[in-house]
Amino acid sequence: MSITLPTYSRLELPLLARRQRVWAIIATGLRKELRRPAAIVVTGIGVAFTTITSLVLLFLSQIIPTGQAADLTFFAGPASNFFVLFFVSLMAAVIGAGLIADDMQSMAFTLYLSRPITQVDYLLAKAAILAPLIAMVTILPLLLTALVAALLGFFSWTIALEAMGISIVVGGLLTLFYTAVTLFLSSLSRRKGIAAAGVFAVNFGLTIPATVLALAIRNDSILYMSPWNDYVAVASGAFGGPSIGIDWPVALAILLGVTVLAALVTYVRMKAVEVVTG
Amino acid sequence: MLVETAGLTKVFGDVRAVDDLTIQIPDGAIGLVGPNGAGKTTFLRLLLSLLQPTAGTAKVLGRDIGDGVPVRERIGYMPEHDCLIPDMTGVGLVSYMGRISGLDRDTAMSRSHDVLQFVGVEEERYRKIAEYSTGMKQKIKLAQSMVHDPQLYIFDEPTTGLDPRGRTEMLDLVRTIAKSPGRNVLLSSHLLPDVETICKYVVILDGGHQIAAGELSQLLTGSTDRLRIDVRGDQAAFARLLKEAGFDADAGPSGLHVSRKPGLEAAVFETAKSLGAEVRYMGKEIRSLEELFLELVARTDKRGA
Repeated sequence: MSITLPTYSRLELPLLARRQRVWAIIATGLRKELRRPAAIVVTGIGVAFTTITSLVLLFLSQIIPTGQAADLTFFAGPASNFFVLFFVSLMAAVIGAGLIADDMQSMAFTLYLSRPITQVDYLLAKAAILAPLIAMVTILPLLLTALVAALLGFFSWTIALEAMGISIVVGGLLTLFYTAVTLFLSSLSRRKGIAAAGVFAVNFGLTIPATVLALAIRNDSILYMSPWNDYVAVASGAFGGPSIGIDWPVALAILLGVTVLAALVTYVRMKAVEVVTG
Repeated sequence: MLVETAGLTKVFGDVRAVDDLTIQIPDGAIGLVGPNGAGKTTFLRLLLSLLQPTAGTAKVLGRDIGDGVPVRERIGYMPEHDCLIPDMTGVGLVSYMGRISGLDRDTAMSRSHDVLQFVGVEEERYRKIAEYSTGMKQKIKLAQSMVHDPQLYIFDEPTTGLDPRGRTEMLDLVRTIAKSPGRNVLLSSHLLPDVETICKYVVILDGGHQIAAGELSQLLTGSTDRLRIDVRGDQAAFARLLKEAGFDADAGPSGLHVSRKPGLEAAVFETAKSLGAEVRYMGKEIRSLEELFLELVARTDKRGA
């Protein structure tokens, strides 16, 4: 036993600022996720699949002669790629669902909050772990699509760069939405399975019924219920593509509103969480 | 002062876990004792701002607990319950906690190795925490509280779940920390011998109230105006006869306590003779912490009844 020979000596070092403490949580969290086979597989397949299908969609629209000049509207198709929805759901469920729920389950939440950081620091760090990984599916494939299209000469660099800029904005919007909603769901329960199920419920549980119902009763305003359709409306509006039947400004307001609301509720919940157990 | 509180109160629904607590705790090794549900853990969590007080104020190391971050920079907390991240290694978790406390990466890692060696987790430090025994988990919890070398260590039931050997090891570690200059220990436990061997000052809580506080030696010595008498025989009858003889005598869990008065010694031996009892000790009111605690709790219960 080493306790008879303690090597413990008093340390006199200034502590680093809070942002570096938050960065430590982010870096450790990202490293941990990027070592998990499930996260690696979902991210890798997600990026590859969404990029390839986006490129195919773009090239198909180029090959089929419509007489239309190669402009930004061609990028509305890749931005509305349904595989984005599928993989963003999968990533949010596999990576995001456990971000807060796991800490509550293992009670590590107590350890975090007994350290010199605030609940906001903790939440920001968790969001900063999830957001870049979600952006791998929501932004990166669109950027790659525009880049490859420009390299192959399908579009001018001016249009490709413009498409990249818009992709960052609309992809960023989707990233923020899913980050906020996933963290909110993750903060609701100690069981990450419940949060993961919640992510799928928000996506497919709203999108599929809304789409079916809108077709059945021929009323497109029901599509506002679906975050994915809201996003598609915004993306289509941003790239100047065809309308999907709902107004993109309203859809944008809904997406932003839900994002802000989910973030606020998560923040309030975290502030209110008192470490009572034990 | 290590901790100062004024009217500190925490209410959960109908339960007043900490009730109007006004105490001043000096620097050093402090024991916080009380039965289960006395409010010890709630009190500690209030100091850490893990809980928000319903009423009252508190200062830790001269800073208001409402300041939060600057207060926690100076505290190392070892919670009672399991709280470790199971898929991290021992050294990984301790260094991670060091970094969240504000240490740079290299210092955090170097300190982690130091404190893990100190607590006796050496070869196992690279194993995942999920594979650790309860004793090793307790040591990791201790190590993470030490990594940023705080001024105040808060240990909440550090020997919970440990076997006798593990308990002795843990108490040795806590004692070493408590003896180190510039460091203060707030040790919460319902295992009174643990506190008695480490702390010089105790705060006794029951039902969210402080029922006693002071230097341990003074509290255990008790009043010089009273004697303690240990009797083998019918203690209650002994007390009754002394009372009938005009002495103020109480029979308690720690023996008879009698006010000094001329003729007391003679009366004690007369009573012993008449009852056929044996006087085993007659002298200063020296008690163990456990005896003191039982007495105080019994007194509080009587008052409550």
